[in-house]
Amino acid sequence: MKEVTINPVTRIEGHADVRIYLNDRGEVDSAHFQVVELRGFEKFLSGAAIEEAPRITPRICGICPTSHHLAAAKATDQIFGVEPPATAKKLRELLNIGQYIHSHSLHFFMLAAPDFILGHDCPPETRNVIGLARHSPDLAKKAIAVRKFGQRLTEAIGGKPIHPSNALPGGMSAPLTAAKRAELATMADEALRIALEGWDIARTLLDGVDTEFGAVRTGFMGMTNHGVYSTYDGPVAVLNGEGGRIGSFTGTDYTKFIEEYSEDWSYLKFVRLKGGENYRVGPLARLNVVEKMGTEHADAALAEYRERFGTVSQAALAYNLARYVEFIASCERAVKLLSDSGITGTDVRTPAVEVVNRRGVGIIEAPRGTLIHDYTVNDAGIIERCNLIVATCQNNYAIDRGVEDVARRVVKNGALSNGAANQIEMVIRAYDPCISCATHAIGRMPMKIELVRKA
Amino acid sequence: MKIAIEELAGCSGCTIAVLDLHEMLLDVVDKADIVYSPVIMDVKEPPEGIDIAFVTGAVRNAENQERLEKIRRRAKTLVALGTCACYGGVSGLSMLHSNDEIFSYVYREVETVKPDGVIPTDVPPFLYRAFAVGDLTKIDYYITGCPPKEIYLKQIIPALVSGDKLNLSRKSVCADCDRKMGTVENWTLKRRYEGVPDREHCLLGQGYLCLGSVTFGRCGAACPKNNVPCHGCNGPSLDILREPCRDIYGMMVRRISDLTDKPEKEVEKELYDIAHTMYPFTIGSLIMEDKEVSKIRDLVKERSR
Repeated sequence: MKEVTINPVTRIEGHADVRIYLNDRGEVDSAHFQVVELRGFEKFLSGAAIEEAPRITPRICGICPTSHHLAAAKATDQIFGVEPPATAKKLRELLNIGQYIHSHSLHFFMLAAPDFILGHDCPPETRNVIGLARHSPDLAKKAIAVRKFGQRLTEAIGGKPIHPSNALPGGMSAPLTAAKRAELATMADEALRIALEGWDIARTLLDGVDTEFGAVRTGFMGMTNHGVYSTYDGPVAVLNGEGGRIGSFTGTDYTKFIEEYSEDWSYLKFVRLKGGENYRVGPLARLNVVEKMGTEHADAALAEYRERFGTVSQAALAYNLARYVEFIASCERAVKLLSDSGITGTDVRTPAVEVVNRRGVGIIEAPRGTLIHDYTVNDAGIIERCNLIVATCQNNYAIDRGVEDVARRVVKNGALSNGAANQIEMVIRAYDPCISCATHAIGRMPMKIELVRKA
Repeated sequence: MKIAIEELAGCSGCTIAVLDLHEMLLDVVDKADIVYSPVIMDVKEPPEGIDIAFVTGAVRNAENQERLEKIRRRAKTLVALGTCACYGGVSGLSMLHSNDEIFSYVYREVETVKPDGVIPTDVPPFLYRAFAVGDLTKIDYYITGCPPKEIYLKQIIPALVSGDKLNLSRKSVCADCDRKMGTVENWTLKRRYEGVPDREHCLLGQGYLCLGSVTFGRCGAACPKNNVPCHGCNGPSLDILREPCRDIYGMMVRRISDLTDKPEKEVEKELYDIAHTMYPFTIGSLIMEDKEVSKIRDLVKERSR
C-alpha cells in the first residue's frame, strides 16, 4: 500500500485529516473526513457545580465561546427554575449577535474569501487573510472593522470578547450602561454599512462556480420563531431530504428526533435523524427552514439568494452565501436592539434559590448550527450527566460525503495537485467546521489530505 | 522577522486573541511575516528559521508533543501563549477520569448514542496525562490568560517584534479590582448561583469563591467588575508560582480564614467541587501538581490506560 500525504491544510477551526483511498487504476475508491482527537468535556463536567457550566464550556471553542456560554446558561435557567427578565433576554440575544458578527465575518472575509477572491490556485503562502490584505487592503480594513464591532459587542455585554462570563442562572450579571449603548450603536451603524457594501462582493462570489461541487442530499434542522429567523430562542424545525417539514422540538424532545453514531476512523461523532436520514445544520439549514429573516436588507438578500438556490437548497457551497445573508441580518438586528432604550434596563437577573428541575436542556443556534447542552444534576446541583450536540457533528456526514464527491472529481491518475487539494478543502470550509467544538477536542488536528493507494 | 503560531490542545481562542489586535495586526504584518498559523493560513508545516513562535494549547497526545518539539527546534524564541500552554488549561480536567471512562461515556453512554457504539481505534491515542508546554521543553516567555487580553497583547507583541523590553504589572487580579473590603460578618460560603452579590464590596468577603487574590492579573479584573467572581483563568499569582509551599487551594483557605476568623479546617469543610472551582485552569500543570501542598494529586484519578 502506498501512502501519499499532502500535509496540514487549514483555515478551519481546529484540525482534521482527509484520507483518500485509491484503487489500482489510481481512481478514488472512497474518501473520508477524519477527526483525530477528543477532549472529553461531556465526561469531565460530571461532578461540577452546574453554575460552572456556563463558564467552563466556552473554553470548548475560542471562535464561538458565546454559543456554549448561552446554551449552558439557558440550561441552568431551567434547572433553577428562573426566567431571565426581559432586558436580560435582549442582552443575551445581543450577545449571541456579537458572536455571529465576529464569527461570520471571520469566516467570510478571512477564511473563505481568499479562495474566491485570490483563486483556489493561488500559492498557499499568500492564499490567506494577509494575502487578501495586500490584494484588497480596503476590503481587509472593512473586515477588521466589522469583526472588531462583533468582539466589542461581546465584551460589553459578556464581560470579555473571548470566553464571556456574564450570563448566569436567571439572566446576566451586569446591565449595559447608556454610554456603552451609545458607543456600540454608532459602531453598529458602521458595521451594517460595511455589511451592505460587502453584499456586492458576496452576491457574485459563486458566479461561475459549480455549485454541484460537494453535493449531498440531506434533511435540515434549524431554529425558527413562527417562520421568522431566530438564533436565541424558539422551536427547532426539522425538514426531510425533500424539504418537507417533519416536526419541531424544544427541550428534551431533541432525543425523539436525533441519534448519534460513531466510526472507527474518527473521534468525531455523527448525528442523524432517528430512522436513519442524515441532516445538516448551520446557515444553509436555517435559511431553508425560515420564511423570512425579519429585517429589511436581509430579506432582500434572502429573496436574491432564493432566486438562485430555491427555497430549500442542497448546495454545499451555498453555505457561504447563506452565511452572508445571516451576517446582514445580524448587523440589522444589532442596530435595532441597540436603538431600543429598554436594553439598558437594570433588571437583568432573577435570583436563583435552589434546584427546581433535575434536568435542563439549553438550545441555541450557534454560528455553525444548532447547539444543544443537556445537563442532569443531583438535588445539590452537581452535574451527573452531560450531553453536548454541536453543529459540526451534525454536518459530519455531509462533509464526509462532500469530500468523497470532490475527490472523485479532482483526483486525476492517482495524483492530487495543490489546487485540487484546496478544492476539497473549499467544500469542507463551506461548512466552517469547528473541530474543537465538535470533539470538545484535545490536541491538534492538522487537516492533512492523505492519498492511500490500495495494493 | 518571521512569526509563527502553533496550535496544540486548545480552542483556537489565543489565535483569535492575536486577530483581536484588530487594525494593529496590519502594522504587525508590515514589520514581520506570519509564516505559519494553521487557523488562518494554508502553510502546512512550520518552516526553518522562525524568529518568534507562539505556542498555544496544552500537550495531551503524542502529536502535540512532536509539534511542540518541532516548533522549539525551528524557532529562536518560543513563547507560551495563553493559560493552556502555560498551565495546561481546561484540557487538564480530562485527568479527572481515566481515558477509558471518557471514551466509554462519549461513544456508549450519553443519551443519544447506543450502548454498542463504536469506540474509535484508528485514531491517535492520548498521552498518559496532560502537560503544560513548559513541563516538556524550554520556553523563553510566558503570556498567561484565557485568552491573553487585547490591551496587553497590543503592548507585548510589538515589543517582541522590535526586541524592546517591557515593564508590565505583576500583581494579582485584586490589584485591578475596584471593590472595597467592608466588614465581613457571619461569613458562610455561597454557591455562585445563590443571591445577587452587591457591586461595591469584595466578592470573597460576600461569601463567593472569588479567586482574585490567588490569580495573576493583567485582565483588568474584568469578571469582578462585571459582578462575576474570578475563576482563576490567568493562572496562579506570582507568589504562588514562585513559592513551593504555596498553592491555590491552600492560599484560598488561608485567605478566607484570615478574612473571617474561621479556623482553616472549618473553611475547608465549606468548600465544594474543588476541581472545577479552584483548579480548572491549572490541573494539567506539573509545576502546580508537584507542589507539596497541592490538592491536584488527590483529584486526578488515573493517568494511564
